[in-house]
Amino acid sequence: SGGSWVRGILSWAQPERWLASGSLLPLSSIHTSTSLQKLGKWEKKNRIVYPPQLPGEPRRPAEIYHCRREIKYSHEKMWYLAKLIKGMSIDQALAQLEFNDKKGAKVIKEVLLEAQEMAVRNHNVEFKSNLHIAESLTGRGRYVKRIRYHGKGMFGIMKISRCHYFVKLVEGPPPPPEPPRTGFDQAKEYVQQLRSRTLVNTL
Amino acid sequence: LVLVLSPLPRLRGLLQHCWGRLERSLLPGFSGSQSPPWGPALAVQAPAFLPEPGSDLRESNEAPSLFDSILWMAAPKKRRTIEVNRCRRRHPSKLIKVKRNIDVCPECGNLKLKHVLCGYCYAKVKAETRLIRIEIGKKEGGPFNAPTVETVVLYDGEKPSQKDEGKRIIERARKRPSWFVQN
Repeated sequence: SGGSWVRGILSWAQPERWLASGSLLPLSSIHTSTSLQKLGKWEKKNRIVYPPQLPGEPRRPAEIYHCRREIKYSHEKMWYLAKLIKGMSIDQALAQLEFNDKKGAKVIKEVLLEAQEMAVRNHNVEFKSNLHIAESLTGRGRYVKRIRYHGKGMFGIMKISRCHYFVKLVEGPPPPPEPPRTGFDQAKEYVQQLRSRTLVNTL
Repeated sequence: LVLVLSPLPRLRGLLQHCWGRLERSLLPGFSGSQSPPWGPALAVQAPAFLPEPGSDLRESNEAPSLFDSILWMAAPKKRRTIEVNRCRRRHPSKLIKVKRNIDVCPECGNLKLKHVLCGYCYAKVKAETRLIRIEIGKKEGGPFNAPTVETVVLYDGEKPSQKDEGKRIIERARKRPSWFVQN
């Protein structure tokens, strides 16, 4: 019973989770930090403002940065999904994620829909389908160590892993995929390298 | 157990430290022969416990198979570098394949796999079926009361036709859905 009590304590009483929730004091005069925690670099990328374009310049495509932090999933497993949708149009990405069985697929789908909504509402994107995924990355979130009980009184330390997911949507059709490098290309590059050699330390 | 909550980041580190100490002090429930807490649970190639002196006679009678077999156990010789790990983890066979059998459902316009029913339409039919079953349950009143005749579901303003002579009739108080064709 002592072990179960301790396990109960550990499962619900996690001070780091309570402290991270922000303002718990009833006094309204104290101005705590903003309800969201410190903004990460990815969130700040949405705030850059370019100078107005000159009349002759080609139109700069809209870029939308969105992310979700501390997803309860492993960042190695999430990377496979991020790699799947890199470079796809947003409709194709949503279709692929809908029929994928992984847990992270549902999360990424929500993130993409949120980003699409943000694009149309705030970032002056005309057609919500005219977006493609320029970058999609995962990052490691904060890990917590917990005890995993084995038989015979043995224990192991398990780590509860979380991850972040970052996505950058750009207006416009997706770029055509690069043709794979053939042996002929490699040979051409090699010959080019040989030809561009010069004599050093000479006149 | 009273925990003081505070939003100040300085106290947070202190609380985490106190919490760690509390955890460690609360879980001494391991027998004395175990390694100190947070040590590895099981060693790699040796048995977890030393044989007691009483079992030596037993051990000498049988062939010393346990100790011999340990030396033949497979173990990695060198640490796998991250480059080698990446080659294995990012090999095309391990990447997720792009599905090419996704279509649009002609009824509702949602996406569906070619060989699978549309999820939205199925959910719609499932919800209606559940309500029909509730009506059936109300009519039967209990378990094991299913009649031996067929059942017909009629919606608002529909009369049982000549073909539905001896069948049990279930009334649903709504308009007939377009996908539920009569007869």
